[in-house]
Amino acid sequence: MPGNSLSRSSVAGLPAGTGGALPALMLVGLFFIVPVVALLLRSVTDPEPGLQNYAALFGSGTYVRVFLNTFLVASVVTAVTIVGAFPVAWMLAIMPPAMGSIVFGIIILSMWTNLLTRTYAWMVLLQRTGVINRALIGLGIIQEPLPLINNLAGVTIGMVYIMLPFMILPLVGTLRAIDPMTLRAAALCGASQFEAFRRILLPLSLPGIAAGGLMVFVMSLGYFVTPALLGGTSNMMLAEMIAQTVQSLLNWGLGSAAAFVLLAVTMALYAIQLRLVGARRAGGGL
Amino acid sequence: MKLILTGLLAGLLTATAAKADEMVFTSWGGTTQEAQTKSWAAPFEASSGIKVLQDGPTDYGKLKAMVDAGNVTWDVVDVEMDFAIKAAKDGLLQPIDYAVVPKADLDPRFSNEHAVGSFYYSFVLAWNKGAVSGEPTSWADMFDVKKFPGKRTFYKWSAPGVIEIALLADGVPADKLYPLDLDRAFKKLDTIKSDIVWWSGGAESQQLIASGEAAFGQLWNGRVFALQQDGTDVGVSWNQNLTAADVLIVPKGAKNKDSAMKFLAAASSPAGQAKFAEASGYAPVNTKAKAEMPADAVKALPDAHVEGQINLDMNYWAEHRDEIATRWYAWQTK
Repeated sequence: MPGNSLSRSSVAGLPAGTGGALPALMLVGLFFIVPVVALLLRSVTDPEPGLQNYAALFGSGTYVRVFLNTFLVASVVTAVTIVGAFPVAWMLAIMPPAMGSIVFGIIILSMWTNLLTRTYAWMVLLQRTGVINRALIGLGIIQEPLPLINNLAGVTIGMVYIMLPFMILPLVGTLRAIDPMTLRAAALCGASQFEAFRRILLPLSLPGIAAGGLMVFVMSLGYFVTPALLGGTSNMMLAEMIAQTVQSLLNWGLGSAAAFVLLAVTMALYAIQLRLVGARRAGGGL
Repeated sequence: MKLILTGLLAGLLTATAAKADEMVFTSWGGTTQEAQTKSWAAPFEASSGIKVLQDGPTDYGKLKAMVDAGNVTWDVVDVEMDFAIKAAKDGLLQPIDYAVVPKADLDPRFSNEHAVGSFYYSFVLAWNKGAVSGEPTSWADMFDVKKFPGKRTFYKWSAPGVIEIALLADGVPADKLYPLDLDRAFKKLDTIKSDIVWWSGGAESQQLIASGEAAFGQLWNGRVFALQQDGTDVGVSWNQNLTAADVLIVPKGAKNKDSAMKFLAAASSPAGQAKFAEASGYAPVNTKAKAEMPADAVKALPDAHVEGQINLDMNYWAEHRDEIATRWYAWQTK
């Protein structure tokens, strides 16, 4: 008991364990919160105090279009990633551990390769004169090259490929925690495989899907390189637009406003998810 | 608060801050900066004893952050000329000390109170001979998808060039380009919008043409020159070639201003300009430089194609930069 009270009094009323989080919190505070506040202030002070940057932002058809496009791309990427990741995660969850760790290694390996390199590799594959189109034309399957790059298809392919591990990892954790007996029980009660998936597996894996989905969605919102290289100008995403506004046009006020709106929307989404799935589960059901 | 943010930003940028007998030169990286290092920095180091540190790529946002925060770590920066004119107006640049930098032989098109020419270049029409039948001879051909089918590639960002090309293709005479008729230009660009692949950097433009991914393109002449040097089968039309320039500037508050001015004198000297032009295929801004170059290197320069050459109006662009950019991105993202 004396030891216990000592550890409590050392961090003045906070729950035990808070002290260990302090370095990380300070890091985030100094290098995230402070710049974000500075950003917000700049958006309402540059070039003069007022909301003119926000008025310009929402009054500009370009920015509104780029915003909508950014959310469209992030949504499509998240949906496709979930569909693609689920079977892999399920397989990993039920696989013998030795084999599972090999597959796991392969998935992780892709994350160790430079992002730009991987994106350029996709360019080589997806171009009109790229490997895929040449092969398909060579085999006589198509006559004209498929438009796989400089459009939404290109962005989606390139980004889903990068996002898959971020979806698979939390999902495997959730799926492994599901008691296999629940599925056997469903089968015993006469449920078809699809029925068991729809009514047992899917609801139970929702926390993992929600956690991975949110991570993928939020990461996609801020993506820069992949959409810039694999998309067309009509798929321009907010990050690229902000970079142009700040770096080339030197309009920091407008760039800050755009960045802040994106951040606010992302936070709002997270808050909604907390309400829907609950705080514990939103973190990945850990 | 502005100070806090710019201070934070600038704090991140101090990695290459130079000491007393050093200075920092910043350019765009790639083959261009390599040639600048070899042609300017190396001989300058040898003759002056001042060490030239290389940094890059040029980033106008960083430049502004440094000047705003009063922590300038770049001493000489290679920038586009229309940006330099605007930056000078915004008070971001140090006036050039023409007592140190000899002015007499500098091409007056590309040097002014706050900038010394770095090199000048032309946008030319280039095509992959394997992907095109026939020879396009004018910008109008790039808008003729019936006669010349295939993807065409243009510079992605809002900058002097594409708007002018669209207007020329639409029949506007070269001497009536300015003030730019943006409505007319975008209407013309609409006719080929779905056939355009945009390039955002020099290497990308080369890759698109060399692979045939784009059959034609508006390219920097130096990049076409490099493709031809590599033996790629690329055609080039100099008809209506459009000149623009990069210039060297010294940011306001640069810590090694005196070394910077000496560096500018060396870079813009006939010898420095001749060496760089020979290595890059871009044109010298010093009128005495060509005399120091081999004859066949001179032939590859925009100077050899002054007939039909059109000077993009950097002052007009500096004046209307933001307005055109707003229209440009609105059209592009539509």
